[in-house]
Amino acid sequence: MSQFIYLHKQAWASLKKKIGFVATVVVTMGTTLGALLCVLTLGHLLLVEPLPYPEQNKLYRVGHILDDNKGEISADAFTYPGLIHLYKNQEVFEQASLTSYSQSVLTSLPNQPRLLIGYTTPEWFSLLGVKMALGRPFEATEALDTFNPVAILSYDTWVKEFSQSPDILQQKVTFEGVSFSVVGVLSKDFIEPQLGTTGSDMHAWLPWDFNQQTRFKDSWGNIHGALTYIGKIKSGVSATQAEQVLSPLLNDTWQEKVVGSDFFKGWTISSEVRSLKSIILGDSERMLFFMIAGVLGLLIIASANIANLFMSRTAEQQRQLAIYAALGAKKRHLFRNLFAESTVLMAISILVALIISSAGFYLMQTQFASVLPRVNELTLNLFTFGSAFLFAGLFALTFAYLSTKMINYKALSSMLQSSGKGTGVQVSKRFRQVLIVTQVAIATVLIFANISLFKNAVKIIQEPMGFEVDNMVSVVFSTSTSPAPTAEESAIAMAQLKSELQQLPQVKSVSQATSPLNNFQLNAITDPVTNLSFTPDYKQVDAQYFTQIGQPLMEGRLMSAADIKDQNRVAIINDVFAKNLREDGNVIGIELDSSGDIYTVIGVVKGVKLPGHSDIRSRMYFPSPQSHRQMNLTLEPNQSVTREQVVAAIKEVSNAYALFNLSMLPQTRNNILFPQFAAAVSTAALAAITLFLGGVGLYGILSYSTQMRRFEIGTRMAIGAKRKHLINLIVRDNTVVILIGIIMSIIVMTVIYLFNQELLAEYIDVGLIPVFVFTLLAIGSLALFACYWPLRQYINHPAIHMLRGSD
Amino acid sequence: MSNIKIQMKGISKIFETEELETHALKNIDLTIYAGDYVSISGPSGCGKSTLLSILGLLDMPSGGEYVIEGKNVTDLSLDEAAEIRNSKIGFIFQSFNLIDELSVFDNVALPLRYKNQVPSDSDIEMRVNECLALVDMSHRASHKPNQLSGGQQQRIAIARALVAEPAILLVDEPTGNLDSKSGDQVMDVLEKLNDRGTTICMVTHDPRYADMATTQLKLLDGAILTTPALSEAS
Ligand SMILES: Nc1ncnc2c1ncn2[C@@H]1O[C@H](COP(=O)(O)OP(=O)(O)OP(=O)(O)O)[C@@H](O)[C@H]1O
Ligand SMILES: [Mg+2]
Repeated sequence: MSQFIYLHKQAWASLKKKIGFVATVVVTMGTTLGALLCVLTLGHLLLVEPLPYPEQNKLYRVGHILDDNKGEISADAFTYPGLIHLYKNQEVFEQASLTSYSQSVLTSLPNQPRLLIGYTTPEWFSLLGVKMALGRPFEATEALDTFNPVAILSYDTWVKEFSQSPDILQQKVTFEGVSFSVVGVLSKDFIEPQLGTTGSDMHAWLPWDFNQQTRFKDSWGNIHGALTYIGKIKSGVSATQAEQVLSPLLNDTWQEKVVGSDFFKGWTISSEVRSLKSIILGDSERMLFFMIAGVLGLLIIASANIANLFMSRTAEQQRQLAIYAALGAKKRHLFRNLFAESTVLMAISILVALIISSAGFYLMQTQFASVLPRVNELTLNLFTFGSAFLFAGLFALTFAYLSTKMINYKALSSMLQSSGKGTGVQVSKRFRQVLIVTQVAIATVLIFANISLFKNAVKIIQEPMGFEVDNMVSVVFSTSTSPAPTAEESAIAMAQLKSELQQLPQVKSVSQATSPLNNFQLNAITDPVTNLSFTPDYKQVDAQYFTQIGQPLMEGRLMSAADIKDQNRVAIINDVFAKNLREDGNVIGIELDSSGDIYTVIGVVKGVKLPGHSDIRSRMYFPSPQSHRQMNLTLEPNQSVTREQVVAAIKEVSNAYALFNLSMLPQTRNNILFPQFAAAVSTAALAAITLFLGGVGLYGILSYSTQMRRFEIGTRMAIGAKRKHLINLIVRDNTVVILIGIIMSIIVMTVIYLFNQELLAEYIDVGLIPVFVFTLLAIGSLALFACYWPLRQYINHPAIHMLRGSD
Repeated sequence: MSNIKIQMKGISKIFETEELETHALKNIDLTIYAGDYVSISGPSGCGKSTLLSILGLLDMPSGGEYVIEGKNVTDLSLDEAAEIRNSKIGFIFQSFNLIDELSVFDNVALPLRYKNQVPSDSDIEMRVNECLALVDMSHRASHKPNQLSGGQQQRIAIARALVAEPAILLVDEPTGNLDSKSGDQVMDVLEKLNDRGTTICMVTHDPRYADMATTQLKLLDGAILTTPALSEAS
């Protein structure tokens, strides 16, 4: 033990004199290991760690897959009556709950916040083992069809909206005109399974009976993605067995209900029973894969750099080591000294790494919660510390081993007697070449991969949409009375509201339509002439919509005010749908059947791309009803409109409406593109870091090589070599090694691709060729620079500098 | 006049390190004629190597004027100096300074490859073989330097110094790393070369070898003690 302390004290003392060396090692290893620990902890959490719920391995979600059996449509979403049917008749789950995710305005508070609401049945609380901070969970009194108006708040909502009011259980909250008594507040520690939207917890929970989808309760032809079914499977039943039982249960009833529908002819329903864990993981496995690959690559570059540093340092210390050897130190003594040093360095690095990975967790929780699941569960845990310890030990051993390995012990002992030139410790040429190959290969792979991903992301971000949303704001109104106003009442109110908004000085134009950035809905259409069925996207728009967003009309006409007023059965379709309907694209005047209603096509508009999508789907636009509660405002340049101004406009018209949502469309667009922005930033950063680390590493190795060749270079200068000869020499000698590195990188990439074809298929196209050429140029110039830079200090001085000490 | 190979006037060299100025050479005047065999000797640290490196354009003087074969070489750029070294100067170092990775043949051929106009491969081969024969090393052309003894390596170094037909051979302690037998062999080669007309300037500690020279310079504290023969010859 005292020996151990002595060794480490000595290591400290010798390291203190080499602050630059220590700083380089700690910064390089600390940051890369930090990134690695961060990503590994996330990977472990997502892939290995159980969900924080009792008997979580028995929790499953049932998916409701509709398949048109033509390969055109396959959707995973429940119909409302189908979900209730499953809930009442299934026999494979011990317990199951229904949930519908939605949003609503809390009108009983003065600031009228918009909250995320989960409508659910009482089993949800027992399935997830929910603990309460206050009050009770939902119980039998809130079971299906009890219509008991009570509410449960999330802990955060209690804090944020009710300032942790202690008498919250005596308070009531109003949503859409219904007053709910607060009966509980969820525990602060409860981690919600984010089945609605990744990255957002629900703010409040209301009984299932009040959910906004109840209007579809008899509609077997209408699906909704927010309807969710989770259950605890009975012991001894596997997911496959459950599917085999549930699929006929769902399909048979559905077929009975839609019999006679032309549209659903040939469709089938099947169930998909997947563990809650895999549902929550979603497709983030791919992202995890890229993150781990990127960080591992960085780590390899970093450790190659550091290995080189350690070895150069040993080479530098040869004289000191020789003295130890002369005093009788054996090889294992030398190893112990070096190991003590590398342990100290790795211990500091790992501390830095732990701090960096905590920062990484924070970054993921605050910035990436919407793209990465479960990040709110991230903490430094046993796994992190275990891996940290393992890596620290492993690297300490490796570095000490490599350093010791290059000591030629026999040469050391004789070194003190000889003049010291040419013998002793050197990083062997072969090993230096291996380091260069490694650096070049990894850097090429990483830079190529990151630039391709970056290019992909930027392409999606920059994809022209085909319409404008600059200076546009979308507003959505909800009703705040119960019963809600009738369609006739709404039509009058909305017309008034529209003119109120139009009168605001900053508003240039108003349309009564869904936001152009909203996803479309699906509609079933048959063409009576060809008898073909289609499922184009659809949206309801008014007479101003297309002009307002600048979506060009290609043929025919837009909707008129009269079309809206009289709710004429007219439709506008996009060019893509027109091509699908008629090969010649001649569609003006043709009639289409939408669930029995016949619409006449009056115009063809140019197709638009929604942000994040590179395809243009078949689309159809219907006249929006005059009661439509969504509007788009175009503002004068550099103007804005506040929630308060819109609320004031509503108050002028009626008290039966609330402002549900106001969103700046450029902002919405950026939010939709967030994953691409995040990808662009992180890949650009990773590419830059790689280039930097690779550059530093290559520079380190090549400058050491050049240093080793001082006498040779000096001799060449003495016999008349000019600068160009020497630059040529160094470049030529390293070109082969660098080329081998590049070839290795191609092999590595091919292997990675072959093992992950499915994951990577969508990224492979001819566009990668220029990226690869660019990568080669980047690596090539980096390597050239790393060749030239260490040399310049020698060749720009009189030759004698290189020869001094040679005789 | 045309037989003056080297002329130095008032050459000085000052090394400045931190707060210390070393006057390694002070006002050196030196003329070397074609066919001369000059030896430079003196106590350690007197400036012998410094003088030789300035003679060989490996370093720049701090003052004075230096002319090789009528060309003023006092203020040359690094590349111009390299060109003069390549065409007019042959170096022989104490520690041979052969390049380990290259064969004996390629070591000797190296100065030719740095010429402005690189000769054809057959010319190079002819010239290299000539020089190897001159130092009696033709049979080792394809060996690597580390497969040779010290004396053999030094003879290869001499062949390399000769290959570009320099105006002068600059030799620094050629026998310093050799036993006396190999040392004698090397000195024999140098003497033979001088007999055939090669101009040589050699630094040596060994009085026996210094005596072989036609002109003996003694340096002390950066200055030339005696300059015999020079004034007589001019
Ligand atoms: N790069 C330098 N910087 C500072 N001083 C130097 C430098 N090179 C040589 N000197 C000094 O110049 C003087 C002459 O050195 P030089 O090497 O020419 O001596 P020398 O006669 O060759 O000695 P030796 O017989 O030991 O080889 C010495 O005092 C030396 O310390
Ligand atoms: Mg000397």
